[in-house]
Amino acid sequence: MSTTFWVWFGIAIYIAVGLAIAMMARRQLGAGVSEFFLANRRVGGFVSALTYSATTYSAFMMIGLAGLTYINGVGALGFELTYLCGMFMMVFFLPRFWLVGRKYGYISPMELLSDRYQSRWVGATAAILALVFLVPYGAVQLMGIGYLMNGVSQGAIPVVAGIIIAVLCAIAWSNIAGMRSVAWTDAFQALIMIATSAAVLGVVVAALGGFGSFFAKLESAAPGLLTVPTAKGAWSINMFIGLALPWLFFLISNPQVSQRLFIPKSVTAMKQMLGGFLVFGFIYTLISVLWGFSTTLLVPGLENGDLATPTLLALPIIPMGLAIIVMIGITAAAISTIDSILLTLSSVWARDIHRGLINPKVSEEGELRVGQWVIPIMAIIAFVFAWWAAGKTGLAFMIAPLSSAASAGLLMAVPTIFGAFFWKRATASGAMVSCIVGAIVVLLFQITGWKPLGWWPGTWGFIVCVILFIGVSLATKPPREKAEEFIGYLKEKLAEGKFI
Amino acid sequence: MGKTGWAWTWFGFLLALDIAIPWFVLTHVEKMSGAFLFWTIWVVVAIISAFVIFLKWKEARQ
Repeated sequence: MSTTFWVWFGIAIYIAVGLAIAMMARRQLGAGVSEFFLANRRVGGFVSALTYSATTYSAFMMIGLAGLTYINGVGALGFELTYLCGMFMMVFFLPRFWLVGRKYGYISPMELLSDRYQSRWVGATAAILALVFLVPYGAVQLMGIGYLMNGVSQGAIPVVAGIIIAVLCAIAWSNIAGMRSVAWTDAFQALIMIATSAAVLGVVVAALGGFGSFFAKLESAAPGLLTVPTAKGAWSINMFIGLALPWLFFLISNPQVSQRLFIPKSVTAMKQMLGGFLVFGFIYTLISVLWGFSTTLLVPGLENGDLATPTLLALPIIPMGLAIIVMIGITAAAISTIDSILLTLSSVWARDIHRGLINPKVSEEGELRVGQWVIPIMAIIAFVFAWWAAGKTGLAFMIAPLSSAASAGLLMAVPTIFGAFFWKRATASGAMVSCIVGAIVVLLFQITGWKPLGWWPGTWGFIVCVILFIGVSLATKPPREKAEEFIGYLKEKLAEGKFI
Repeated sequence: MGKTGWAWTWFGFLLALDIAIPWFVLTHVEKMSGAFLFWTIWVVVAIISAFVIFLKWKEARQ
């Protein structure tokens, strides 16, 4: 039977298993908004770690990061590991998010901001930021799946078909049982994702004569890719900071991951979540980068780095069955990110826009209904963006830079989030002005391609954002009572739990 | 300086190394034992640092 048949067969099995897991999760689904969007804050450490990993790591890694390594070399490793190093900040933010989430019953990170700054407009501003910038990030996942299925089937499955499959799966899994179905399917998919990618890397490295021979060949064939900046001029410090800065704060700027800081059921579960994720992230990053380097040796000369992984999987040295399993693993990882994004955006719309601004008296059932309607709408918008971007070439349309560009916009909420936890003098006006103006700067610079002093849009946006946040906050009146209560509560509980 | 202050300082130091070593010390080392090895060891140090801190966490009363 043909490769195309087996690819379709693999996809069908994957969808069936995913649906079965989601339906099992539905059996445990209770009533209410907290249940649907946060699994009632009762997720164990193992599933928390895996859903955090699968939401964070997606098509971006095995396709985008591998492609970036293929084209631009070792700087891609530094860029991605800078994100992982940034996870050190979880020792500050994880217990803080978790404690106030339980105390005040926050559903979304934006609701936390609204309450802390005593202004629903702060939450709405951060919500709009997320809605605007998470769409391209979600679209990136769709593009990854499209490229992958197209590559593994050797062109028989069109890119757009892969995108449509991903959209339908993401809509289904986020709607069936909310966070519960998303987290369970994520956990399953994360295990497949890391096991299969490690297996293929093993096959590829063996074909290259083992790690020693692989590294020697790489040093001989492409030494320019092993330094920063590279021989071709990539990875200037400005490029590195431009890409890595949004990544560094990903853990708090991206609501689909920061919302997960509300879900562990206990401190032990929190520790398992963080420890599990750090180990997973380290292994998966190394696999992705080594994968990219191995492709440099095996299929040199590709113009689009995002095609490196699909091309590698189509090589005769990879057994067809293994290639299809890996394709499913990466597809699963991408879908697990999209469904998390859709679920978070739906909660943000329902809680922070609909309930926060449009209809404050809406019932919990009404709020949930609105959220469930938002899921397909956002999915369709991401689909249109992915379809448009998938045919384009160049650094700006590669998966990794596009992902980082999306995060550059979300970066503008970072000073506001820092202020909420660490600065009593921070104000709602400072938060809103910094988010809005910072986002406009990022968009303007990204659209025009303008890079004064060679600094990237996210870098400029962040500088403007921080200055405005501090300046406007100092010039306006803070919500003193709430700040004292919020930070005071944290101070007491942090000491109790030996948090720092 | 309290524990939180030390932790932020340590994190800042790690970030400074992230740029300083690959761009100013290893920039001419075109080998896997250059920037690749540095970043791998560097992030392991960051991960171990996080473990050292969060393994001390204990259940807090709600």
